[in-house]
Amino acid sequence: MWGYILKRTAAALATLVAASVLIFIFIHLIPGEPAAVMLGDAATPDQVAALRTRLGLDEPLFVQYFYWAGSALQGDLGRSIFFDEPVTSVIADGAQTSILLASITMVWVVLIGVPVGVIAAMRRGSWLDQGLSGLAMLLASIPTFWVGLYLILVFAAQLGWLPSSGYPSIFEEGGLANLRYLILPSLALATPNAALILRLTRASMLDVSKEDYVRTARAKGISPRQVTLRHILRNALLVVVSAFGFTFAALISEAVVTETVFALPGIGRTVVQSILRRDYPVIQGVILVIVCLYLVLNLLVDISYRFLDPRVELE
Amino acid sequence: MTATLQGVFGAASARPLTAFGLVFLLVVIVFALASPLIAPYAPLEIDSLNRLVPPNAEHWFGTDHFGRDTFSRVVYGARLALLIGIGVVGFALMTGVPIGVVSALYPKIGRVLMRGVDVLMAFPSLLLALGLIVILGRGVANAILAIGVVYLTTTARIVYGVALRLREETYVEAAQSMGAGTIWTIRKHILPNMISPLLVQASFVFAFAQLGAASLDFLGLGTPPDIPSWGNMLAESRLYITRAPWLLFFPGMMIALTAFSLNLTGDALRDHMDPRFREAMGSRKRM
Amino acid sequence: MNAGRKTKSLIVGCAALLAAVSVGALAAADAQAATLRYATIGEPPSLDVQMGTATLATTIGQNMFETLYAFDSTGAPQPMLAESETVSEDGKTIVITLREGVPFHNGQTMTAEDVAASLSRWKEFGARGKTLNAASIEATGDNEVTITLAEVNGAWKSLLAFPNGGPVIYPADIVTAAGGEPIKPDNYVGTGPYKFVEWRPNRHVELEKFDDYASRSEPADGSAGAREATIDTLQFVPVGDVSTRVSGVQAGDYDYAEYISGDLYGILKDDPAIAPHISNAPIFGLMFMNSKEGILAGNYKLRQAVLAALNMTEALQISVGDEELFSAEGSIFPEGNVWYSKAGTENYNQNDPEKAKSLAEEAGYKGEPIRLLVSTNYQQHFDQANVFKQQLARAGINVELNVTDWATLLKERGEPQSWDMFMTHHGPSPDPVLLTFMNASYPGWWTSEERNADLAKLVGTSDLAERQEAWATTQALVYEQIPAVKVGDVFSFDIGSPQLKTTWDRAPAFPYFWGATK
Repeated sequence: MWGYILKRTAAALATLVAASVLIFIFIHLIPGEPAAVMLGDAATPDQVAALRTRLGLDEPLFVQYFYWAGSALQGDLGRSIFFDEPVTSVIADGAQTSILLASITMVWVVLIGVPVGVIAAMRRGSWLDQGLSGLAMLLASIPTFWVGLYLILVFAAQLGWLPSSGYPSIFEEGGLANLRYLILPSLALATPNAALILRLTRASMLDVSKEDYVRTARAKGISPRQVTLRHILRNALLVVVSAFGFTFAALISEAVVTETVFALPGIGRTVVQSILRRDYPVIQGVILVIVCLYLVLNLLVDISYRFLDPRVELE
Repeated sequence: MTATLQGVFGAASARPLTAFGLVFLLVVIVFALASPLIAPYAPLEIDSLNRLVPPNAEHWFGTDHFGRDTFSRVVYGARLALLIGIGVVGFALMTGVPIGVVSALYPKIGRVLMRGVDVLMAFPSLLLALGLIVILGRGVANAILAIGVVYLTTTARIVYGVALRLREETYVEAAQSMGAGTIWTIRKHILPNMISPLLVQASFVFAFAQLGAASLDFLGLGTPPDIPSWGNMLAESRLYITRAPWLLFFPGMMIALTAFSLNLTGDALRDHMDPRFREAMGSRKRM
Repeated sequence: MNAGRKTKSLIVGCAALLAAVSVGALAAADAQAATLRYATIGEPPSLDVQMGTATLATTIGQNMFETLYAFDSTGAPQPMLAESETVSEDGKTIVITLREGVPFHNGQTMTAEDVAASLSRWKEFGARGKTLNAASIEATGDNEVTITLAEVNGAWKSLLAFPNGGPVIYPADIVTAAGGEPIKPDNYVGTGPYKFVEWRPNRHVELEKFDDYASRSEPADGSAGAREATIDTLQFVPVGDVSTRVSGVQAGDYDYAEYISGDLYGILKDDPAIAPHISNAPIFGLMFMNSKEGILAGNYKLRQAVLAALNMTEALQISVGDEELFSAEGSIFPEGNVWYSKAGTENYNQNDPEKAKSLAEEAGYKGEPIRLLVSTNYQQHFDQANVFKQQLARAGINVELNVTDWATLLKERGEPQSWDMFMTHHGPSPDPVLLTFMNASYPGWWTSEERNADLAKLVGTSDLAERQEAWATTQALVYEQIPAVKVGDVFSFDIGSPQLKTTWDRAPAFPYFWGATK
């Protein structure tokens, strides 16, 4: 067992190192430079060159990489060229919003996706099931930003019920009431994901219901309703929960667009704007952190699978 | 393969939704192939006297802020949707299949190749595509490449899984032990069995390529804005959503229904697939 | 196996969360009157306004930092931190007497040393520091600073009054420590009516009233005269999406929002929840031509062909929208400005494809592609480029759009081999010498014997009438050699809540809020 964990961890670390090199090379291939963007339209080439030297962007690329990787190991991701503050605090600031957004989204996803999936599975083959499954498929095919724009149009611009954009932190003036800024974005973000979880819940409930112990329970005379709720749902949920690990990556990508539509100060929007500003340290830092999270999450999923289900074969 | 296709049409008659999907895809294909015949106006023709006109008899879907006819642009947009879809699927298959097959047949090379795929998979897909676009510049080919790289990884994984299973199956091993060449093995045993899983994968990749391209367009980093694509139309309409909501509606609907139809087709294909490979198709990746 | 219980507690948790949200929403209804929330187009760059020319940095920074002079409502510079000045006979030595007892936000009192240090740093490193062409700047008394110019520069007072990339006054120790580096937020110390509180990336920049502000006694006139911080706190919130800026003001989330897209003007001007403020300072689009390399370099006939084909009214209508928000004006400076001139403007907005065709033929043009570099970060640039492309096609001139993002455009336009024309725009300029196309090191690199002669006349004298005449000649040359094509004047418009009462009605180039109430 320990051997397995060690092996997986080593593999994840190797991936991380390779990814960090890739991130670094990628980002410095991007044409355009931060110095020119910072100095504005009227800057002369001399001023740009001087600023470039000051920012340390003149050093050879591999030297810059080792500086970066070295301090990243010590938890220092460098300073944002644009904000002139540590990248870690830029990330922490954005992460606060993004994590909250993701959590609320997950709440919607669970509240909508799982019960509706259960209903569809229980009425398998009925018109209701077909309708719900079809609707889920449709919702999973809609661009999130389109949903977001319509939510803004209806609930913010026309009805005026909810704010259209921005998000002042819940730790600031307004407190928990500021969560209302996240309702529309989380709904937009939840739409395709709830649809996917709905389909997954339905499918895994149907799979589990074929298994032996469910048949045994039925044979023992437990009412079908109880069988559904106690056994099938519980087991199906396990499958769904493990799927959340995979939804993470999708959520990050969709959050980039959603945060842009709703002007949320999250990590996704920060990274897009940093790309446009050529703020290399921030782009590098954010992507490195996301890649790290992804690898850790997958590692945990792999290992917990091994614990939960001894049938899983080792590599 | 013909069996699979028969399966789809069989399913279409049984499931009205699948039939709808196939009909809609047909409409998109006709739009793309015959756009000059169908579109009443040239998609780039600027008409400053008829800006932001709501849908009416002359302009069925209204006009945008250049006075360009939205219906005509929607029709021409189908070309780009197909181009992006075919391009991304083509790229993903042409790179993913060799990587997957070679990795399965030669475990030593496979370890390196699949590790590389893992590294790419660790990046959030939209950010990966965004980064590639910024490096390569805006353009249709670059957008295809950027989205294609994302689906190269999933395709390679699936092919790898299926090919491993096939390799283990006795008839392939027997053929190998009898001295048959590797190329022969690939041609005779692996590729034919790969067709139906690849068809399913292709339809999902096609669907999600539409959403990925739309997101890139929306962030201003996809197709060049002088080309009418549904994503670009949405990106431009954003400034006018309160004044001209029809600009938001029609292109968005086209993207959603195209992806929807492709997903329906993919599902129908999967239901008629050899159950041995269904497991390998497990995860879907939405950009 | 306690998944069931977990689900239950999860559901209870969600219910509590929703309850908290709805209760909180009620509590937030009584908004704070003492804070002005300003929705900006994005995150500002450094607020060290000496170092950068970003409009947003100036809009925010002018509340904290002040210049020696400030423009009144007619565009004439009036004393701000300065009290008075004397200029020597030869026009090269300027002695400025400063106001006494002006406190900085950190409690120090402004001295001649602070002013000399700030001006010297600006001259050395400032974004527009070279324009003054000063030989030396020294403190020559407790409240007296002497500027010695290398050459006569009639524009000196305007240059000292222009806050954008301009010589604002910081404490001497802060500028000395910063040198060529941008000053860090902790050290944002000035003399203005507001002082710096905090900068939270992607969230807001916050300023608060400076209680010890030393106001001038003259009545407020433009940005000159008395300034009084009547609103306690200013918050600048980045909101990149224009429709969300609009709905934010409609919903009362923001008191003021800048850069609203022109096409929304038609519906917003009648919206009772919104007060539109059309800008009084036009920005103008410019299509630069490459004077160094490529098909347009030195080919004045072909440039004239391009100009002849263009219909600016159409381009403005499509890119801007409402008639009240643009003006197809050929003069580089707007009417009413001291630099306004009609010289050469008969070549503006010709819309004559036939003439363009024959000019192109004379120029030896055979349909070679002309590369137009444009970014999508500014929708108007792209819209105008798109319209121009079609208009030029009608005259047989073949334009290829090269669409990039703004950062890539900044890089590519520095490479003379990779473009023929590019789109940009500029804000109001206080003096012709500050126009970018007059600067031979700005991409486009316009230089010719005639231009050099005209420029020499323009800077060589401080007599206004002589300079106006020199500028008229220069403008006529601009319409002949065409270093850049002026698209037209665009009046951006901002929106505010109707309760917000500002001291101006049409929004200034850098909206300020001293004297405002809500």
